[in-house]
Amino acid sequence: MAAEKTLNLKKPRATNLNEEAIRRIKAETGKPVIGYLCCFAPPEIISAAGAIPFRITGLPGDDNSAADAYTEPYGCTYVRNILARAARGEYDFIDGLVISHSCDMVQRLYGIWTYYHPLPYSYLFNVPHQVSLQAQRFYRRELDFFRESLEKFTGQVVTSEAVAVEIDLSNQNRALVRKLYELRKEKQPGISGSEMFNLLMAGGTLPAAAFQAKLKEALSKAEAAKAQEPAKPRILVWGSIMDDTALFRMIEEAGAVVVADDTCIGFRVWEKDVPQSVDPYDGLTEHYFVNFQCPRTDRGPGSKRFDYLVERAREYKANGVIGYVISFCDPHKFDYPDLRDYLKKEGLPMLLIDDNYSFEPAGAIETRLQAFIEMLG
Amino acid sequence: MTHSEMSRAKRHLETTAKMKEMLPRFFMRMMERRFSNEPLAWCMVGVPPELLKAFDLLFEWPENFGTMCASRLVAPRFIEVAEGDGYSPELCSYVTNTMGYCKLFKEKGEAPEESPLPGGMGTPAMLLGSGFICEPRWKWFQSVATRFFDVPVYSSDPLAPPWDIDPTDPRIEEHYLTLLREDLAGQIEFLEKQTGKNLDIDALREIMALSHQALAYWRDTLALRKAIPSPMGSTDYFHAIIPQMYLVGDQEAVDFYREMYEEVKDRVARGIGVVEEEKYRLIWFGLPPWFNMGIFNYLESLGAVFAYESTYNVGDYFEVDLSDPLEAMVRRTWQRALKMHEFGAEAMPELCNPAVFGGFVGSSLLEELTRDFSLTGAVMHLTRSCRAVSFGEVHTRNRFAKIGLPSLIFESDMADPRLWSDAQIKTRLHAFLETMDKAQKGGK
Ligand code: SF4
Ligand code: SF4
Repeated sequence: MAAEKTLNLKKPRATNLNEEAIRRIKAETGKPVIGYLCCFAPPEIISAAGAIPFRITGLPGDDNSAADAYTEPYGCTYVRNILARAARGEYDFIDGLVISHSCDMVQRLYGIWTYYHPLPYSYLFNVPHQVSLQAQRFYRRELDFFRESLEKFTGQVVTSEAVAVEIDLSNQNRALVRKLYELRKEKQPGISGSEMFNLLMAGGTLPAAAFQAKLKEALSKAEAAKAQEPAKPRILVWGSIMDDTALFRMIEEAGAVVVADDTCIGFRVWEKDVPQSVDPYDGLTEHYFVNFQCPRTDRGPGSKRFDYLVERAREYKANGVIGYVISFCDPHKFDYPDLRDYLKKEGLPMLLIDDNYSFEPAGAIETRLQAFIEMLG
Repeated sequence: MTHSEMSRAKRHLETTAKMKEMLPRFFMRMMERRFSNEPLAWCMVGVPPELLKAFDLLFEWPENFGTMCASRLVAPRFIEVAEGDGYSPELCSYVTNTMGYCKLFKEKGEAPEESPLPGGMGTPAMLLGSGFICEPRWKWFQSVATRFFDVPVYSSDPLAPPWDIDPTDPRIEEHYLTLLREDLAGQIEFLEKQTGKNLDIDALREIMALSHQALAYWRDTLALRKAIPSPMGSTDYFHAIIPQMYLVGDQEAVDFYREMYEEVKDRVARGIGVVEEEKYRLIWFGLPPWFNMGIFNYLESLGAVFAYESTYNVGDYFEVDLSDPLEAMVRRTWQRALKMHEFGAEAMPELCNPAVFGGFVGSSLLEELTRDFSLTGAVMHLTRSCRAVSFGEVHTRNRFAKIGLPSLIFESDMADPRLWSDAQIKTRLHAFLETMDKAQKGGK
């Protein structure tokens, strides 16, 4: 069992590292930190308002009992974990909170959190569930309301020029992330799935310039890496939020290589540039709403809604897809049967890991991963 | 659970007993039209039935079908088929019930024999969804159309302002009203295309007028339940919502709700209660366990009556100007959103579009309900597979604790009887009644 534990939730954990970093950055800059979950509310606007955007993550496997005083046991365990941590004061470095109406759970987290533990600033960013023209117009107006609320809080006027500068900075990082992902298309990628994941986790915390330095360093290391071992089965990981490398490491330990992903803190955020439009908010609408691939958004019936994923699997020459779903995660659990069938039709086998945000029992998960990977090999 | 632990509801009103003839008559009329191949729409609660009526469209509610499958104990069969297909047991059991039903329907080419209605839910020609209330609704029809019936879908998205935004700010109001108007226009455009008919505004106005008359009687009936003893209980309440789904906009519905109002008023005048000795007056939160509605009668046998249910209170009546019936529809949705905003999860998590869940510091709704309906306690049904309606009950319990009203949360499900553990639930209900006894005697 002890061996399982070390593999499962190994320290240092990305969440802890990020939180240490943000405390330091806050002390150095003196700027307020605005925590966010999901990026329907663009972090670029937060930066342009003179605050530091910080992607809130949790600690899978931690004790969630502090959430019981406010919420039911039946709810996404990730959300319960965030709430438990908030209740214990572990996010005390946050001055403000912006939560998007992405899934119902996250959105209700907003109500409960702000009621029981009010913060100096909080904003619920309402997001339509479709990308129709009326929905786009609503989202565009919502951006203005969000900007105004930030201006009121930080006292700094958010100019379009400042937003454009932030977009430009984050786009530079997007280009670097894409370069790293390019390397993952090779027979023997110079960067592992868990290394890549840890980098992207840092991307939700570090200021753009610091993240850029980290990406550049990783890129030169990955480019120089000479693969020694024979090629392994190639995996695309799909599913609910993951904020720990546990599953990636388990897959790697089981003898496969993660070459691509489709989860919240993954390629989805970096895949495409934010278009540089005359009105920067139009570009943000396109990037964070219209093109943002999250199953909470209804893209109509039919399997076409998964085409982007099949294309990605092909591009990265994935041999199989491993899905990861968290207990009570409606958006992903509802999509699973349709997705599994479509992937099968496209010749891509899929394994589903249904977890309560703890990666336990690790032994059972490993056995299933091994069997699947052996089958692919 | 065993099936013998489940019992059907016994109702108290003569008016609801009349539904035994009224509903089959309605279903027969629908069936005849279905057999002559008129297009059928499957719809979700949140789609205005008045609009469907104005298009003279045949419609069916998979949610309501779920309740019927549950009460006849066939839901587990359909749910298990869906689970075999990869749907998690955690997912909304109305949805998994639909998925299992559809799978069997497609395999057999006809409604599975277990279906509660002859011909089951029929074959849809279109799906009209609504994101009102919950997220599973976005996935439900998407998957029905992906897996089983390749027909056009329109889902409407009536967003509502979050709790800490002032909805009376004219800019915020316009922000939301614009979306609601554009969404309704999209729905109408879709219906016009699918039916090949233009919307008849005059017909819609008349339908709305009738619908509002019926809802006004419903509202007034519910207010009569403030009387001691309570003249009407939950078994009648939950049954009497069905005409709102199928018959609203018809004179028949107005007559039904008027008769109900008159009957309940008469009972109040004559002091006739649901039980002879009313010891506990309760408020109900959450969806009911449709497979075991007899649980309400069981509580009545112990002297406990529900005077108020927060669920399905969506039919509330609002004054709206019908000169422009489309704007009236938008305004009605908005007024509901405002009401939710004012009270929201404070008392009715399920009344909340999820966007409004929040604190409502200063809201006095719970105090008002407790006082006006002379409540002695609150019972909340935590439905495992429907978080949309039950998430927020712990918060409500916290608020009740502040008022000093005892409350109980018990767990089960709305449609899946496998989650009902009879002995355990009854033990907890008994213990709760004892708690209320103590509270009434002034103890804690
Ligand atoms: S894991 Fe699923 S339910 Fe939880 S926050 Fe993410 S999308 Fe929502
Ligand atoms: S509100 Fe609950 S029961 Fe109704 S569709 Fe949504 S999850 Fe299912």
